Amino acid sequence: MRLRASLVWAAVASGVGLIVLLGFFFDIEPLRVARQILVDWAVLLAAWALILGLLNLLSVHWSKVSQQEKGWPYSAVLLLFFLVTLILGLLFGPDSPVILFLFNNVQLPIEASLMALLAVTLTIAGFRVVTRRRDLVSLVFVGVGFLVLLGTGPWLIGSEGVLNTFFRDVRNWLAQVWAAGGARGILLGVALGAIATGLRVLLAADRPYGE
Amino acid sequence: MGIDVFGLIALLVFVGLLLLYGVMGRRWPAVFRPMPGFEMLGRGIERAVEAGERVHLSLGTGSVPGKDCAPALAGLAVLSRVAAATTMSDKPAVVTAGDGALAILAQDTLRAAYAKVGARERYQPTAARMLGPTPFSYVAGLPTLLASEDVSIHMLIGSFGAEGALAAEFGERREAFVLAGTDDIPSQALMYATAEHPLIGEEVFAGGAYLNVGELHRASLRAQDVVRILIVGLMLAGTILRTLLDLL
Repeated sequence: MRLRASLVWAAVASGVGLIVLLGFFFDIEPLRVARQILVDWAVLLAAWALILGLLNLLSVHWSKVSQQEKGWPYSAVLLLFFLVTLILGLLFGPDSPVILFLFNNVQLPIEASLMALLAVTLTIAGFRVVTRRRDLVSLVFVGVGFLVLLGTGPWLIGSEGVLNTFFRDVRNWLAQVWAAGGARGILLGVALGAIATGLRVLLAADRPYGE
Repeated sequence: MGIDVFGLIALLVFVGLLLLYGVMGRRWPAVFRPMPGFEMLGRGIERAVEAGERVHLSLGTGSVPGKDCAPALAGLAVLSRVAAATTMSDKPAVVTAGDGALAILAQDTLRAAYAKVGARERYQPTAARMLGPTPFSYVAGLPTLLASEDVSIHMLIGSFGAEGALAAEFGERREAFVLAGTDDIPSQALMYATAEHPLIGEEVFAGGAYLNVGELHRASLRAQDVVRILIVGLMLAGTILRTLLDLL
């Protein structure tokens, strides 16, 4: 019985995937409609999955608080603010001034400060790359990063000097010739990898929905 | 009725090569270039299991109906292998995602891996979890998770933006083994700086082939190489023809 169920799931996943995929190549009305309906269903299912994910998040942190596991106070704070935001959202609606106030004054500044932390992190990581991976590629990586910074940031001694123009030209040359060419090559590899991954799911070789 | 003939031919060539190499794979096994990250991962997992430490796999901040779910699907293939290797550990693998659907898929993959090795009773649904629905809320939850779960192997195989660099850095700060890859090119550069073992380009999709998840994983890597050569050949031919036409 179990084997039969797994075959049904695989058939549904492959069939639906095939219809959506064929919709990209054949511009036929019934196929276009079927593809749109299936994509809409996927979006609806993803929304329900988000709710399940949030319930999963709650259950993980509830269990941490109830069993007083390592780091439980953080879980308690998360649970408290999760419930406060949920109740306020349900009472006043997602576009209400209360929710927007919370978003603009709590979530946005926290996420912005994490983004700012990234600059510090990358500076430290740049030094670490040179000390840990002492090879030519790492040296080129850090050297190019430094040159791009010199050509991008403002200069203390005026921004129209010969040196500044030189570094700006170097930066443009690096970004538009070397980086753009390399990025296109990498993008080609990523696209082929994504296609291969999708095809493996379509052929039911990969079954992330269970065996 | 319009048909994208070129796209369809390209797809059929890809599928044909995939199946061909899948059939040929056992008779003529592929030899891939060494990738230290995946080679060291196996030994790292063994060490973590012996030391009672945990393996963490992050599936990134992409979402399933989005275009950015492909690397996470590759991550799930790696998970099926990693989960099987850690089922008997005191601290089995833990998986996190920034999307509910990906967390559910991770639960299903874990359940299947436990069932395969006959340890269904050891499966815990909370081993796969959603950390936060936005990229930075997801990353903000990582340090606590890495510390509280005693993580020593920190894998990032999914779609990440700039937050991926922070996610890798949190693992480095714990002196964990960090293997990180994404489909986003600027973020790959950031991960190259922050992760001990960065995955560049299509390497993020190669985990299944290097960890022997299945024959089609190895076949897909060979098919990708052939299609890439074909595309590069066509691009070069097109450039030469265009140049010749302009000269004449």
